[in-house]
Parts: sequence; structure tokens; C-alpha cells
Amino acid sequence: MVIKHKNIFKTQSAWSNADEKMLCLDTGSWRTSRPVLDKDKCNYCGLCALFCPPQCMNDMGDHYEANLDFCKGCGICANECPRKAITMVPEGEFTDG
Amino acid sequence: MVSAQKGQVRVITGNATGAYGAMLCRPDVIAAYPITPQSEIAEQLAQFKADGVIDSEFVEVEGENSAMNVVLAASVAGGRVFTATSSYGLVFMYDALQETSGFRAPVVMVNANRETPGIHAVSSGQQDMISARDAGWVQIITENDQEILDQIIMAYMLAEDNDILLPVMVNYDGFYLSYLAEAVEIYQIEDVDKFLAPLKKQSPRQKLVPGVSQGCGTHGMEMGYVEARYKHTQAMERVKNKVDEIDKKFGDYFGRYYGGQIEEYRTDDADIIIIASGSATGTARTVIDAKREQGIKVGLIKLRLFRPFPAERLIQALKGKKAIGVIDRSICFGWKYGPICMELKVLTQELGSVPILSYIDGLANLDITIPHIGRVVDEVNEAAKGKPYQDVTWIPMEE
Repeated sequence: MVIKHKNIFKTQSAWSNADEKMLCLDTGSWRTSRPVLDKDKCNYCGLCALFCPPQCMNDMGDHYEANLDFCKGCGICANECPRKAITMVPEGEFTDG
Repeated sequence: MVSAQKGQVRVITGNATGAYGAMLCRPDVIAAYPITPQSEIAEQLAQFKADGVIDSEFVEVEGENSAMNVVLAASVAGGRVFTATSSYGLVFMYDALQETSGFRAPVVMVNANRETPGIHAVSSGQQDMISARDAGWVQIITENDQEILDQIIMAYMLAEDNDILLPVMVNYDGFYLSYLAEAVEIYQIEDVDKFLAPLKKQSPRQKLVPGVSQGCGTHGMEMGYVEARYKHTQAMERVKNKVDEIDKKFGDYFGRYYGGQIEEYRTDDADIIIIASGSATGTARTVIDAKREQGIKVGLIKLRLFRPFPAERLIQALKGKKAIGVIDRSICFGWKYGPICMELKVLTQELGSVPILSYIDGLANLDITIPHIGRVVDEVNEAAKGKPYQDVTWIPMEE
């Protein structure tokens, strides 16, 4: 058997590292809408990051931003934000999606 | 490595032996839930903890599923872990069993073989482990109390080897060995430390560390899944030779050899072979000796390693034999043969058109007796002469 596959995991088991690449596949492609932040409303409370299921909210120092490589667009951050600073916008409205 | 000092010989049950075996290997975390016929292991380990004999963390769980998840988590955090179960308990942790092997967590578990749900049988049989054969675990079957102790020590050596990193299930016949008291040499713990010391010289395995954002076993979709499964099956293949190597090292140090994947008894000049496993192999040896005196050239193979299946060793031992009889203490839904026999039949191409006779015996605490095995030898001997034979025989159903 000739193996052409290039290993994704360095280890025997399926370890992933959030500081490098969190998951072994790009779940961002699953998204149908993305979280868009209104920085004026955001008070950097961190609830969006706390509730984010794949833990893909990046800490930008004064606000949080979803890592769109992994954000599946579930909308939990928008739902949890006490100041309604996050809006879920359909991917069709973006040209980079 | 020089040989070990003499241990203390005590007359203890198979279950107590399981607890002593675990104690000698100094697990960091133990979690177990009582279930017949294994309960005594959990009780004895709890007693060790209460008496200060072990300093392991002992987690009292609410069920077997939690037990396996506790030891899985502790193992992924880098600890050495131990648990024990049987029958319904093994079934109840079925998803956790697969998580554990999928995470490549080197968990060591003792399973006291017992019949499984469907018919509420509180009785011996290998059906529990057989039904878990595709859970990705290494499965080893032991024959007597001493072998339980020795195999637990060898199981850690195997599971935690960086070339392997797989959970190991050490099995023994419940009710027979679980409650049978035999003389067991309990080694000095310092000697077990020395034997297992090479594991500490390996590069440390990856583990969960507080503050480091990492995950294990999460999101293995598409090629991540394929890669992890491929590596898992490759590791299973490596287990076979490793079992033989560890058996040699163990024997050189502690003075007891078990043959590794299989034990061969009087097979060299044998024309016909009987394959058995677990506590019944003791009875089988007696029968082989008696039949040899009658002039039947019969040999015995004790199957120790069931997962991975020791194909190469079996082919080597069975090549050129004229007929084979396999005694299974479990059944296979979907095939008429017993499970070990069914697996052996995969090797038909290598073994040629040799008659392979399947025998189902010893279910639900029924004894695999000397006359039963005597009958098997006689029938296999007739089949070797080219006479017609019965493919599958449920021995108790014909009595």
C-alpha cells in the first residue's frame, strides 16, 4: 500500500491544538450566516467567547471577533450578547464567503 | 535486568489477584463500580486505599459508564489508571470503551467474563468480551490466578508503550477464576517498579494540561478520522509482536513465561490441534496428556490474545496439521460457528483445506469437562482421517 496522505495529527491519537489550528478541518465552510459586531455597543464582557461552542472567538484586546475559519455560524454569541452587539448576517451578503 | 526477588505467596481469589495486580502497578486513578462477579476487585482496592496500601485517587462512580469516562479522562491527563468490570457493566460502558480506544488512552481494565444481557444469566461465559471485540481494545484471556496478576503487569507495559498506546482488557472466566482461591506469588512492588521503569524513559505522551488549549478525539472528520483509524489499526498490528516481546522480558525477570500471543502445548509433532482459551485450557492439557498415552498425536493451543487476532502465530503453529477443533465459550450471532472458530476460518487460505470443527461449550456456568474435551479430540482425530464430521457441535445440547 502506497500512502499518499500527509498526516494531519503529529501524534498517534487525534490531538488538536487551538493555538495553532484548533480543528482538523475547516468548519467555517459550514456557515450560512456570520456574526458581525457593532463595536460601539460592545463592552468587552466576554460572554460571546464563553458561550461559543467551538471556542473560536478571538480576544482582540477591546472586543472579540469570530475566527471565520472555524465559526459555524450557530448564532449563540449573538443570542447571548446582553447588549445585542452581535448580528447574524447571511453569508450571501458577503463577497469573501 | 537481573531476576526479581522472591515474592510473597498467598492463597487468594482471582478477583483479589486482580486487585493485587493493579496495586503493584501503582495506578494514579482507580474508578470502578461493583458488578458480579467482579465486585471483589473494587472492594479490595477500596480496602487498600482505606488501609493506606495505595495512594491512588479512588473515584466512587454511579455506574460503569462513568467509571470508564473517569479513567479515560485521567489517562488523557497523563495518569496511569485502572478499572474492572463484567457483563452488564461492560455493555453499559460500550460508548466509553470506543472513546477510550479512539483517544488511544492506555487504560488497563480487568473484565471477569460473564454472559450478557438478553437472558439474565449470572453465570460464566466469554460473551461479554467477544461482543466488544470491535471496540478497538487489546483483549487478552488468562487461565489462572497467577496469570491474571502477571498479565495485569504486562498489560501496563503494553498499553503505555509509545508504539502501542491502546487500552488493554485483561479477561478471565468469571465465577471460575473470580472466586477460585489459588496460590499466587505477589511480587515485591519495587521489582514491579523496576520492570515497568522503561516506560518512564520514553518521551512523555501528549496530555491535557490546564491552560493549554487543546483537545483529544474531537472533530476527527473526513481525513482526520481516516488517519486516526488507520493509525489505530496499524498499532493493533504492532501489538502482536510486542505481546511476545513483553512475555519474554517478563519471563526473564519474574520467571514465568506464557508464550505471548498463544501458548503451544505438545504441538510440535502433533497431527491434530485443539484450540481453547481461559480456565478450560487446564482441563484440556489433562485430556491431551491422556490422549497422547492412547497414541493420538494431539496438541493444544491456548489462545491468549484475541484482539488483535494472532493470525501469524496461529498459521505457523497450525501449518501442516490434519484437523483442528476449536472450543468456544461464547456464540456468534450471524455465523453458526463459535467466534474464535469463525476468526480462525479467515486463515483457511493459509491453512489449506484442513477440517476445522467448531464446538460450543461451557456457556452459562456449564463445565467444559474432561469427557467433553475427550470427545472433541476423538472427533477431530476421525476428521483428520478423512471421515465425515459435524461442522458445529453444541456439546451440552447433545447430552
